[in-house]
Amino acid sequence: MSARGRVIAGVVLRRLIATVWHTRFGLRRGQRRRRAVALQLRLACEELGPTFIKLGQLASVRPDVFAPETVFELERLRDRVPPVPLDAVRAILTAEFGASPDMVFASFEPQPVATASIAQVHAARLAKAYRTVAGATLPAGSRVAVKVVRPGIEATIQADLVVAQRWARRLERIPRIARLRPVALLEEFRGALASEVDLRNEGRIADRFARDFADDPLIVVPRVVWRHTTRRVLTTEFADGWTLDKLDDAHRSGIDAKRLATHGAEVFMRQVLMHGRYHADLHPANLMVTTDGRICYLDFGITGRTTPAQRIAIAQVLAATVYGDATRALYYSRLLGLEVTEQQAPAVHDTVAALMREHLGRGERPDIRGFALGFLGMLADFRISIPAGYGLLIKALVTVEGVAQAIYPDIDIVDSARPFATRLIAAQLARPERLQARVPAAMRAALVELLA
Amino acid sequence: MNDVMRMLAAWALVHETADEGWKASVGRGKELTPGELDQSPEAFVDGLAALVAEEKEKLKASLANPARDTAAPREDLAVQLEAMRFELAELRGCIESLQASVDAIAARNKD
Repeated sequence: MSARGRVIAGVVLRRLIATVWHTRFGLRRGQRRRRAVALQLRLACEELGPTFIKLGQLASVRPDVFAPETVFELERLRDRVPPVPLDAVRAILTAEFGASPDMVFASFEPQPVATASIAQVHAARLAKAYRTVAGATLPAGSRVAVKVVRPGIEATIQADLVVAQRWARRLERIPRIARLRPVALLEEFRGALASEVDLRNEGRIADRFARDFADDPLIVVPRVVWRHTTRRVLTTEFADGWTLDKLDDAHRSGIDAKRLATHGAEVFMRQVLMHGRYHADLHPANLMVTTDGRICYLDFGITGRTTPAQRIAIAQVLAATVYGDATRALYYSRLLGLEVTEQQAPAVHDTVAALMREHLGRGERPDIRGFALGFLGMLADFRISIPAGYGLLIKALVTVEGVAQAIYPDIDIVDSARPFATRLIAAQLARPERLQARVPAAMRAALVELLA
Repeated sequence: MNDVMRMLAAWALVHETADEGWKASVGRGKELTPGELDQSPEAFVDGLAALVAEEKEKLKASLANPARDTAAPREDLAVQLEAMRFELAELRGCIESLQASVDAIAARNKD
């Protein structure tokens, strides 16, 4: 076993012992047991470093595979890594551009503005004007953010994944774990990680998002400077402001926080339901409120896609949820691939209706997170498998609620979603192809009624 | 004969009443703001009626003046043109990024 393999084995063993203790040797049941397991899993990922933090973050958007408690615990995973020394950053930039950063940029700030497990960000200034993919040209001297992949991170990830694969193969022999398909899942995560380490992929997605929201004055997506972007370096416009984890009351007082929070929630719904492309990793460090009171999206490592047919069904589920209509929500959820049998349907319906009354009813402020936890828990209890896209969407909706509350703590997210959901459903009802299909039957029915 | 006349009169009356109801619904719908749409199913129907009436006016205008109808295809064309421009700009970005990598390899070879 390699040295790294021994370290991983040591951490896993220690966390397993802690799990056994905290679950009182397996005597604890249900939610308390799942919570204890999830906590130890998060701590293990944090101890094991970048690869496992990333694997944990990828798992945190997969409620279709993991228990809801695990998913919500893993979203708390944060990178706590020391900054890469400046010399190493300069060496990467020199290797990527064939010239030192002082030659490439007008100026390059030695102190990083952000550090994370995969990359760190430095501010710089453009030496020459640059024509971006969309929007106005960035003039020479513009401040830019230069994201640089940490040295050796690809090799570290590769080495860790080899060990993780060995573990996955062993775990697959345990029947209870085999249903999670650990080997296939790890392979899927390997692909996602490889894509994230190649920063050009993030740049392409950022440009697409920038285009989607080009006409929205309240949304900023930093545009990419492709001339200074390679596999290991991503250069974008610099956004000045506060990430949501650093936004405090003093900052909020200078902006229209309520409007911004409501708009932020609506923008997310537009991503899912109109553009079919959405930011699926909206934790508070990935979203910024700019000094001029706009929302800025950062880090497009994990994104989701929706097809036109899914968008129609999702809009219906969303509208049914905000109006507390369990029957409609279930009908369209089944169209989205949720496999509820005829025998299960009445009990599932009653549980969903009760959850809606408890968490989304008028009166106190609605709690989407509580609703989602209850809903996912109910699906687990009924052993109903969740389609991957559907799970990601539920998770993303919960995150949007958290993000909107980080901007304006008193926001009622369900109330904010109602006007948008109503307009959307009205527009869907009036689709020409739908009218063409439904109007003749409606006319016939009206005539039958008149002539009866 | 009387029955036929009565049936036609009933038909005309139904049509007239429906038309008045429709006009009232459109009127109420036009006065709604987006936040009010969720207050009741009636408000929703009024909102929908206003949307349909707006579309009907556009249709009437385009039927009355067929020359102006070319505006829609022109709009489509503008959207397509914008999409192609964006894809072209994306390709330019890709090439610039590749060029940066090629320059770096060339510089390393020189050293």
